[in-house]
Amino acid sequence: MGTGGVRDGIGRMKAEERIKEIFAQALERKSPAEREKYLAEACQGDQELRREIESLLRAGEQAGDFLGQTMRIPGADMVTERTGTMIGRYKLLQKIGEGGFGAVYMAEQTEPVQRKVALKIIKAGMDTREVIARFEAERQALALMDHPNIAKVLDAGATEAGRPYFVMELVNGIPITDYCDRGQLSTADRLQLFIKVCHAVQHAHQKGIIHRDIKPNNVLVTLHDGEPVPKVIDFGIAKALGQKLTEKTLFTAFQHMIGTPAYMSPEQAELSGLDIDTRADIYSLGVLLYELLTGETPFDTGTWRQAALDEIRRIIRETEPPKPSTRLAQQLVAADVRRLHSKSEIREPESKEQVGASSRRLLQIKERIHMVRGDLDWIVMKALEKDRRRRYETPDAFAGDVARHLSNEPVLASSPSVTYLVGKFARRHKAGLCVAAALLLLLLAGAAVSAWQAVRATRAEHAQSLLRQQAEQARANERQLRLQAEAREKIMQAEAFVRNGSPDEADKVMRTMSPLLDELNASNAAAIYFSLGDWHARHAQWKEAATNYFQSIAGQPANFEAYDRLAPVLVQSGDLAAFEQLRRQMLSRFGETTNPVIAECIVRDCLILPWSGAELEQAGKIADAALTAGSNHWAWNYIQFAKALAAYRQGDFKSAADSLQTPLRDQGKDIARDVEGYLVLAMAQHQQGYPGYARDALTTGLGLAARLPSSDNDLKDWKAWNDWVIAQALMREAKELVNGPAKR
Amino acid sequence: MSELTVMLQQIESGDAQAASRLLPLVYDELRRLAAWRLANEKPGQTLQATALVHEAYLRLVGKDDPQWNGRRHFFGAAAEAMRRILVENARRKKRLKHGGHLERVDADDVDLPAPMPDDDLLAMDEALDRLAGVDPRAAEVVKLCFFVGLTQEQAAEQLDVSVATIERTWSFARAWLFREIQRQRNPSV
Repeated sequence: MGTGGVRDGIGRMKAEERIKEIFAQALERKSPAEREKYLAEACQGDQELRREIESLLRAGEQAGDFLGQTMRIPGADMVTERTGTMIGRYKLLQKIGEGGFGAVYMAEQTEPVQRKVALKIIKAGMDTREVIARFEAERQALALMDHPNIAKVLDAGATEAGRPYFVMELVNGIPITDYCDRGQLSTADRLQLFIKVCHAVQHAHQKGIIHRDIKPNNVLVTLHDGEPVPKVIDFGIAKALGQKLTEKTLFTAFQHMIGTPAYMSPEQAELSGLDIDTRADIYSLGVLLYELLTGETPFDTGTWRQAALDEIRRIIRETEPPKPSTRLAQQLVAADVRRLHSKSEIREPESKEQVGASSRRLLQIKERIHMVRGDLDWIVMKALEKDRRRRYETPDAFAGDVARHLSNEPVLASSPSVTYLVGKFARRHKAGLCVAAALLLLLLAGAAVSAWQAVRATRAEHAQSLLRQQAEQARANERQLRLQAEAREKIMQAEAFVRNGSPDEADKVMRTMSPLLDELNASNAAAIYFSLGDWHARHAQWKEAATNYFQSIAGQPANFEAYDRLAPVLVQSGDLAAFEQLRRQMLSRFGETTNPVIAECIVRDCLILPWSGAELEQAGKIADAALTAGSNHWAWNYIQFAKALAAYRQGDFKSAADSLQTPLRDQGKDIARDVEGYLVLAMAQHQQGYPGYARDALTTGLGLAARLPSSDNDLKDWKAWNDWVIAQALMREAKELVNGPAKR
Repeated sequence: MSELTVMLQQIESGDAQAASRLLPLVYDELRRLAAWRLANEKPGQTLQATALVHEAYLRLVGKDDPQWNGRRHFFGAAAEAMRRILVENARRKKRLKHGGHLERVDADDVDLPAPMPDDDLLAMDEALDRLAGVDPRAAEVVKLCFFVGLTQEQAAEQLDVSVATIERTWSFARAWLFREIQRQRNPSV
């Protein structure tokens, strides 16, 4: 027989090819007779071959839709529970909710007491090991908590089939947003409710539990004796911190993705595996407050459904939402437009009630704007900071600020201008300003800019120190905490001495810091050294500042901020060798960053002074990479400036000038940065051979610089001094270049 | 440029190390994406393999647009990755059913619903390995069209052959696999 010989590799392949070919050809013959005829010809008497082809043909026919399926998610039709089913000693009454893996039923309990409860059970068909473990974790997490505003766990068990369930108190309420809207609650009432919710979340955090899915549907309000009581429910995706409930992180691939997009914090949307901590809940609480105040979530969720996963993530991570008062103003405009529009249409005249309702609504919005603008704006935006270090440390801290707003005390989130502080004082003591108050007014009015900063730093540091102690009491080393607090107290005291014109006293206090610092472990000390560095820098003591920043880096080598501050300090103190070392280190340690804000800082810091070689090239690449953030990014102007600086250093003067267009066009928000922009522009113009333009730019820049240190109330105040230092360095360079002999 | 784009370029220029890193990258991305979809899709909706792979591709590639040569490496890897994810799932569920309750839960399991019963999928997977030994291209076509859901035109482009060839190969592969599975279950066929 033809193919009965040796089956080496090539021979086999050839045979397979033949089989395939014949098979294909045979398929094309539609009638059995034709096929029969073809096979006889093609196989030429080779019976084995023919049997092979025929078995394949048969298999092909029997295959049906084999390999034709697509993947489906099991539908709700797989649920087997119905009303009346008994689960344990609970009788199911009605399904009240459904999530990814479980369903919640209202059930009735007869023994030992008769009451209605909520029973949560895993859906049929979903009981894999992993899901069961997650379910268990939720139950255990809930059982740890005991708070009037958190739904309690009453019982737990498993069906005969082994499907676990647990029983919670039935919260007969509606989502907090609905409750506030239907009851037309005033802003103050909404805030009071919100404060309670914060305290509940705080309780959970202290038990080591992060909720991770705080949203109106999970905060229900019920009435007890006529009083509204908010209850936080559904810790179903809550993650327990440090609890060894089950092996490893069971929340696995799901852990990054859980949560409703509108309420998801940037780090949750990041999916980077970054450890989600309690501050993610703070963010969600911020979104909740935003919605309570404006009726909408910060990002326009109308487009959520359509947006691809990536788009959602990008929006959460990069876009700055409008302040609540701004959003309300937008609604006002929209409502006005609608009203005018409907007036102009020819239709049935509106009834008096309708007219009344719509103008009442406008009035409501206007009132709301008035209440929200100012403190509440700041409070909400602080909770919504992309950088989680800038948010409130704890839910209680958040609630504290809201409470302070309600009683007209200064809030942490704000920026204290004199008028603000005095205004607060006046509102608290409405019964006329007494002499003491007038004196206070004069004192404050007469204070220098640095005193304002000192007041804010003092107060903020004091409050922060208090808050941090509260939050960390559950865990960290008590002694370490105390030492840190002491250190911060001393810094505060020193600030106060400086403010009152007693620098010697301030020095004395600072000297007593050393023994404290010795006792703190390196990373705790790092934070203190960092604060010390800031303190010295703000008082223009550059060598001391450098020393402290170095020590902070030693304790926390991965803290980019310390490098970011140290760089200008070294330039200012003239320690060029150290600066060179530092900028190389910055490149090697942080050069790979994908965060555009860190990237632009790196570029700016490294290129305060000229550079060359591979390092300059790398810096240039980092600047280019940051540009991919896109012009909608909040730091776009800074990124452009970084690009301009990099281009200038690399000798691409035209590109440098071009990149400065946008930032300089948007000037006015940050004087020091504007000055830097003009200086680099001046140098770029000069190098391109436009001495006239160069001198113009230089003059403008120097003119602006005369206003430094600036008197603005910028919230990013802490950056001010290092911007100033960088501006100084660039000024020296620009003056020398431009005012020297003109370049041909 | 995105990590993936760089990797694809390296593979194109023959970098074997990059090639070995591609599959784990794609694998991870697909699983995460699948988990997201599972957690957020309403029950009863279809989780399309094609959509998943394409979305993973877009996420990994970002704003770049690698040439088609680059893309084909990706789809090849995606096909293999999808296959592994489904097969691992099926194996795990089988183990659990057979009293494996002491099994340690692996942190990275994705509970993807399977396109066919577990036993069938596992049998198919083994048969596919055997097919690859006999006719590598046929196996590749199956992976691309079934696990990734490429159309026959796309598969033709991917493998640089005519659509007619793909059609023929697909019919052959289907029949072959089906027969192979039958034979495993019932050796007298």
